[in-house]
Amino acid sequence: MKYISFFALFSVLFVLACQDDDYNPTRSENITTTIQFRAEYDNTNLAIQSATYAYPTGAELKATLFQYYISDLVLLAADGSEVGLSDIELIRYEDATADNIEERTYDVPSGDYVGLRFGLGVKPDLNATDPSNFAANDPLNENEFWNANARYVFAKIEANADLENDGTFDTGLSYHMGSNDLYTTITFAGNFNIDGDGDPQLVITADMLKALSDGTNTFDIADPDKQRVHGGNQAVATEIWGRLVSQFELSLQ
Amino acid sequence: MNRLLFLSIGFTLFIAASCEPGGPLSCPECPVNQEGRDITGPSEPTAFLLEAEVPDYMPRPILDESNPMTVEGIALGRRLFYDRIMGRDSSFACVDCHQQDKAFTDGRALAVGVGGEESPRSAMSIVNLAFNANGFNWDGSSEQLWEQAIHPVENMLEMDEDWERVLERLRLHNDYPGRFRAAFGINNTDQITREMTVKAIAQFERTIISADSHFDRFFYQNTEFLTEEEQLGADSLFFVENVPVGVLHPGCGHCHNKPSFGDNKFKNNGLDDVARLDDFIDKGRGRVTGSRFDNGKFRTPTLRNIALTAPYMHDGRFNTLEEVLDQYEFGGHGVENEDPNITGFSLNEREKSAMLAFLRSLTDETLLTDERYSNPF
Repeated sequence: MKYISFFALFSVLFVLACQDDDYNPTRSENITTTIQFRAEYDNTNLAIQSATYAYPTGAELKATLFQYYISDLVLLAADGSEVGLSDIELIRYEDATADNIEERTYDVPSGDYVGLRFGLGVKPDLNATDPSNFAANDPLNENEFWNANARYVFAKIEANADLENDGTFDTGLSYHMGSNDLYTTITFAGNFNIDGDGDPQLVITADMLKALSDGTNTFDIADPDKQRVHGGNQAVATEIWGRLVSQFELSLQ
Repeated sequence: MNRLLFLSIGFTLFIAASCEPGGPLSCPECPVNQEGRDITGPSEPTAFLLEAEVPDYMPRPILDESNPMTVEGIALGRRLFYDRIMGRDSSFACVDCHQQDKAFTDGRALAVGVGGEESPRSAMSIVNLAFNANGFNWDGSSEQLWEQAIHPVENMLEMDEDWERVLERLRLHNDYPGRFRAAFGINNTDQITREMTVKAIAQFERTIISADSHFDRFFYQNTEFLTEEEQLGADSLFFVENVPVGVLHPGCGHCHNKPSFGDNKFKNNGLDDVARLDDFIDKGRGRVTGSRFDNGKFRTPTLRNIALTAPYMHDGRFNTLEEVLDQYEFGGHGVENEDPNITGFSLNEREKSAMLAFLRSLTDETLLTDERYSNPF
């Protein structure tokens, strides 16, 4: 009898020792999932500086910077719950040697999802914070901050334009936009499953040209009053922001 | 017998000369014994919390996990920074190009090395490196600060020394081995490495924080006032929040925003008129990335202490701040990779004077005599 008890105890210890430390049949498994943020110009891959782009007015552009913040990136689960992925991300394309894809990787519970949501810009509670709270390599660093009143720059579009078609890109365009009033929530619907086996690639695409022109209405970059938008003259760029908000796309690849 | 003695002495001298590692050590504090020797003394460094040293209005410092800061590491680095044992024949040190009374620059257009020859670029100020997220040097050629410290030692236009000879001097030194043990916990002089040496220097350099200018005392500390002239320069010219529609504007704050006053990004700020991007004489960032679109781009440096760091630009081409202002007022040359915020502008004499007054308000006098950064010898 003594030996049976000993054997039973040993068996329990053996089983415990062999058990996976993370094993938990009641918890859904986290899957490492990458979301791609793709930048385009007129439905082609955005190439910083190296490409010459046609602008609807007949001018040509060389893009030098395209960036935007997103806040509260969440996945919408089929059961009605939300999975928060990130409080804040700064998506930036400024490097002539880089491609047009920025990637962010998150741990996502396996399951069925019906959509994705984020806020374009810096959400109000973070927009109320000060850059000195963050390290210089944090997305909320001082270089994206105007001042205590104007707060963070939500999005920047910069380019050099050849307005006269003389081969010189000598007109700088610089559109810096942001304010709590501009913060906009963007929601995408789309059914997908994440279980680590053949998961779809989530791709969020933003098109720089579509922020400047929707094909019918085109921002007049030849107007000297419309070549720079910084802080106080936000009204000039209202239409750019409106188009920027509405042109995002989510694709499942 | 005399002849035999003479030959023996001659043979001994010949063997000794053969063992010479390559020239005189020029290290009066070095003992003659060249064998590795055990080091005794304290060997458990004390962690140093840089964040506690940084005023709350500055960014939080960027931590380098590959080089955790310690009290002993900083003390060692400070000595190495000032010690000419680092240069050729123990005759050149970091401080020769980074002098405290000049906000850690050298007052020259182009840096001059141990041989008296000029480097192609100006010595950068090394204040506030802990807030730099974008590599080091004018072109970002070193990703980590401690990596940056490797090249000046062996660059023939700078310290022109072989690292092995530097390490030999450090290992033979009476004082340094104990300091390396205190900073890095080593047991023997043979364990002193180049990496430890540059990491100690980088730890010291990271502590150099400049954040106590007249502007800081006005804007953040609320203990002083800007003059009317300085205020005009700040509000209506330097920063960029309230620019009237269509008005061309200096807008320095785009790249030199407070509180760091330099975004450390690489930009073509419109200095050179080239027909093609390949025509820049100094390729700058382009030499690092290999992309012609990065040619002519250089780091945006801090404007803190700018009144002390003349001459200006990566090649020291401008002797005065007035010349710098004139250049930006002129604008760029329409080269395709110029920063779009380089637009040119027009200032009257009063506005120019105001801008210069504001720039001079960025001088941190405390930095210039702060004993924490001074020569420890």
